[in-house]
Amino acid sequence: MRPAFDSARRARPLLGTFVEVTARGASRDRLDAAIERAFAAVAEVHRLMSFHEGGSDVSRLNRCALSGPLAVDPQTFEVLEWSRRFAEASEGCFDITVAAQLVDWRLLPRPVCAYVPDRQGSWRDVELLPDGTVRFRRPIWIDLGGIAKGYAVDRAIDSLRDAGIPWGCVNAGGDLRVLGREAARVQLEPRHGNERCVPVLEVANGSVASSGGGRRRRGAVGSHVHGIARHAVGGHAFVSVVADRCLVADALTKVVLTQGPRSEAVLCRYGARAHVRTARHEWRTIGGTAP
Amino acid sequence: MDWVRLAAPAAVVLVTAPAAYANRYLTVEEAQRLAFPEATQFVEAHIVFRPADVAAIERLSGQRVRTRGQQVWKAMGAGRLLGFFVVDYVIGKHAVIDYSVALELDGRVKAVEVLEYREAYGSEITSHSWLHQFDGKTSRDPVTIDKDVRNISGATLSSQHVTEGVKRILAFYETCLR
Repeated sequence: MRPAFDSARRARPLLGTFVEVTARGASRDRLDAAIERAFAAVAEVHRLMSFHEGGSDVSRLNRCALSGPLAVDPQTFEVLEWSRRFAEASEGCFDITVAAQLVDWRLLPRPVCAYVPDRQGSWRDVELLPDGTVRFRRPIWIDLGGIAKGYAVDRAIDSLRDAGIPWGCVNAGGDLRVLGREAARVQLEPRHGNERCVPVLEVANGSVASSGGGRRRRGAVGSHVHGIARHAVGGHAFVSVVADRCLVADALTKVVLTQGPRSEAVLCRYGARAHVRTARHEWRTIGGTAP
Repeated sequence: MDWVRLAAPAAVVLVTAPAAYANRYLTVEEAQRLAFPEATQFVEAHIVFRPADVAAIERLSGQRVRTRGQQVWKAMGAGRLLGFFVVDYVIGKHAVIDYSVALELDGRVKAVEVLEYREAYGSEITSHSWLHQFDGKTSRDPVTIDKDVRNISGATLSSQHVTEGVKRILAFYETCLR
């Protein structure tokens, strides 16, 4: 006889990484159906917000939003609104218009586009109009790579919750969210060598996202671009942010990487906390309060 | 939000380094059922490549063919062929990934599922004696991570190799199944 409650865990290649969905506390059939819907939610975000796919909202904006207001999916608009909030809160350190730098460093492919991006352009040039359309004030390229993955995780968790699944975890290449009161253990940072100890978080009903610590190819040191200075950040430091929503955690990792301890106010504003491993391999906590 | 416990610096929970990262998601049978719920039978075949097949697959996909053949199942239901189910593996930068591709009759991709993902390094610490040294520690000491810690935040896992693998499977369909 099969047990009444089961657990299921599946992974698919999406968002340029592996998206893993775990669900527990329902029959296997219900879990499979819910996981399928969670993957569909992630695939939808991928389809709308990928820089690489020519038909995505992001690619359409990069091609056409300079000529006039362009209608985008409400989900894309929502992520653009969040991006604006984080840009304002971080005084421009978080900026989705850093795509031009990422293209220069060949971390992103050159989009099919009639113009050369204006290096003076910034998040302020992305106009979000009341009717849900978007217009660029200058020739710019946007990339939602610093926030869309977290959003996709949130959407997948929403679909698990809507399906009545009591416990679930969605992990998109290390940006993850846990649904339910039972904690999941999350190791911060992959092991590099033979370290005997690694820090681990226990996360319940919350999210954790990480950035930095990685060397990048082709001379670009660091994994993200400073929104104002436009140089690479995250070459040595490693940041994990814990927050309610994965979108918030994902975006704030970039704010912490660029602002360091000054990001405390932003972290507190969003009820988030950062664990930072410095270049000297010391861990610091910024924002939030100890549980 | 309620974080049950936080284990980082101050309060830290330094956990002993985990064994090599390995995740088994689905068996071949489970993946088959999920991809073709209406199928009543999966007929297995192992297609052996002729040199011309290898050349054609490599030309169509731009990927090297490193195997002599391909394992494939025909999904059958109500006496009809419903589609194909292919199991393949790719070797990533640090990992070996077993995955499956379900194809519609016309060759469109129906689903790609990861069956197993295992890290190719770190096997040295899976040895029993290495883990044994932590026996008898209290909760204040590092705790060993076992299968429990399945999530790593900050690992940049690229699915590029799987994407390339799927391209090769599509070329295999064009060459041998169509």
